[in-house]
Amino acid sequence: MKSTPPESHPWLNTIQEFLFFEADLADNHQFKDWQALWTKDLLYWVPCHDEGVDPTHQVSIIYDDRSRLEERLFRLQTKQAHSQNPRSRLSRSVTNIRIESGDRETGFKVTSRIHVVESRLERVTHWAGRQTHRLVWEESVFHMSEKKIVLVNNDSLLGNLTFII
Amino acid sequence: MASPLQFQPKLLNEESICSMVTEGRVHSGVFTDPGIFELEISQIFHRTWIYIGHKSEVPTHGDFKTRKIGRQPVLMIRGKDDVVRVLMNRCRHRGTQVCEGEQGNAKHIRCWFHGWVYNANGELLEVPMLEAYGDGFDKSVMGLNQAPRVEEYRGFVFSSLNPDVPSLTDHLGNARAMMDLMLDASPKGDIQVNAGVHKTVYQGNWKLVGMDGYHVKYVHASVIAAWNRNPDSGLAATHRGDPFEDESASRTRDLGNGHVMLDLTEHRLSHYAQFTEMLKKMTGGQQYLDEMKTKHGEERAKLLVSLAGDPHVGIYPNLQLINNQIRIINPISADVCEVIMFPVLLDGVSDEINALRIRQHESFYGPAGSGSPDDAEIFERVQKGMYAQVNPWLEISRGLHREECDENGVITGKISDEVTQRGQMKRWLALMLDSGAE
Repeated sequence: MKSTPPESHPWLNTIQEFLFFEADLADNHQFKDWQALWTKDLLYWVPCHDEGVDPTHQVSIIYDDRSRLEERLFRLQTKQAHSQNPRSRLSRSVTNIRIESGDRETGFKVTSRIHVVESRLERVTHWAGRQTHRLVWEESVFHMSEKKIVLVNNDSLLGNLTFII
Repeated sequence: MASPLQFQPKLLNEESICSMVTEGRVHSGVFTDPGIFELEISQIFHRTWIYIGHKSEVPTHGDFKTRKIGRQPVLMIRGKDDVVRVLMNRCRHRGTQVCEGEQGNAKHIRCWFHGWVYNANGELLEVPMLEAYGDGFDKSVMGLNQAPRVEEYRGFVFSSLNPDVPSLTDHLGNARAMMDLMLDASPKGDIQVNAGVHKTVYQGNWKLVGMDGYHVKYVHASVIAAWNRNPDSGLAATHRGDPFEDESASRTRDLGNGHVMLDLTEHRLSHYAQFTEMLKKMTGGQQYLDEMKTKHGEERAKLLVSLAGDPHVGIYPNLQLINNQIRIINPISADVCEVIMFPVLLDGVSDEINALRIRQHESFYGPAGSGSPDDAEIFERVQKGMYAQVNPWLEISRGLHREECDENGVITGKISDEVTQRGQMKRWLALMLDSGAE
């Protein structure tokens, strides 16, 4: 087994910039711009309990296809989404970025860590976990076809997770 | 107005508790006072029937779930004799909790403080260096303690710390028929509670998770706006039209013993044709409709299919059956409550139908749903607002003048009427005051 870390991937910088850009849009609640990052068919998935669960037999925290994601974002843009009024103030770090597999033609599988600090109504909440993106090169830019977030506390009591994680 | 300006905990006695609940009003100290909360734990949660879990959650020998009766940790565990027991989660030696985590399988339960071992029936098998206890030590009476009472209704396991509590059948009363509406939505008459769980918590009193037909248009305005764009998405399919108008055929009901419901039957029945169209497009949908008709006859099958297993009923004090879920309410303090939501799968239907039930549940409920977080947000605002006690009274008199009572004692009102709040407060007061058997 190789004991040295892998060489830096030639696409790492471009992909890293994409992830940072996505993080900014999510932190700033720029719903329309964030939505535009997705491909037509999509999966936005936050598993519950464990990452190995079968979503057709087990409940998830979020398991959105395009229509459910559009409903989520539409709701957040109304003035009556009380759990986001006031909105969460967010600062997220995206780190430990690795390109696991793929190329420009087939798309990339990228793993990273997130640490989101949320402040809302005098309460500070930390959300942390591993995330996996599937990125597809379309019309000269990357789009997300899948984003899966495995929170470290996805088996615990949770409060309000209505912002974009 | 006879109003104590502020509730005084030092005056907590039968008379002062009585003065906090009138026919159409409740003192907010009922929701904010820590002394009241302590009394609720002993008078309500440690005395009446508490829902523990569904037998399908522990299908094989040694399977256990950790749950609570009020403040007391218990196990729901299936023994080697296939009996599902409710055992106190506490070693008989020096009190250690013997099972950790939410769930697991333990045919032998070892306490890791001093190595005592029990079997899944709760019997004490092994005590290291037993002889040091002398001859008087009788292992056969040192098993894990059983909860004083355990009874079940069609797989729903309830337990009570009160040995003299009246039977579960008496306690459930009119609510049993409502539980049937969930169970009979399965063509096999049974459910599977094995699709995971949403565990949520909010900073508010446990009684705020009521059963309220009046809040929907305001608390859930955002998701109603979303549904109106796409009436086939998520839960919208079961809310077509407006079931929460007072002109609608929807009703609030007080079933007695604190059990209350939002009866959406007539509204759902009016959309039977749309439900069946949706089902017929799914794998196993036609077969489901046929089997339901064969088993229950046309009229009952139509009702069961229309309700899709949603009796929308609260079984006092800690269980609710709402939409595709079983919900447990855990009171933590006057200001903190956990709501644990288990999606319910129907036995004997296709994976596609059950997967849709899971997706419908997620879309509205849980920490990232379009409904639950807004409920929790409003409950937290209520909790904060209730500390303003210059005038401490909460108004729950809506529809008091137009209630109807039938021969079974069921009280009915329009869908926005506060029949449900009054029914729950009536039971609350009876349990808080009564120092007798229950």
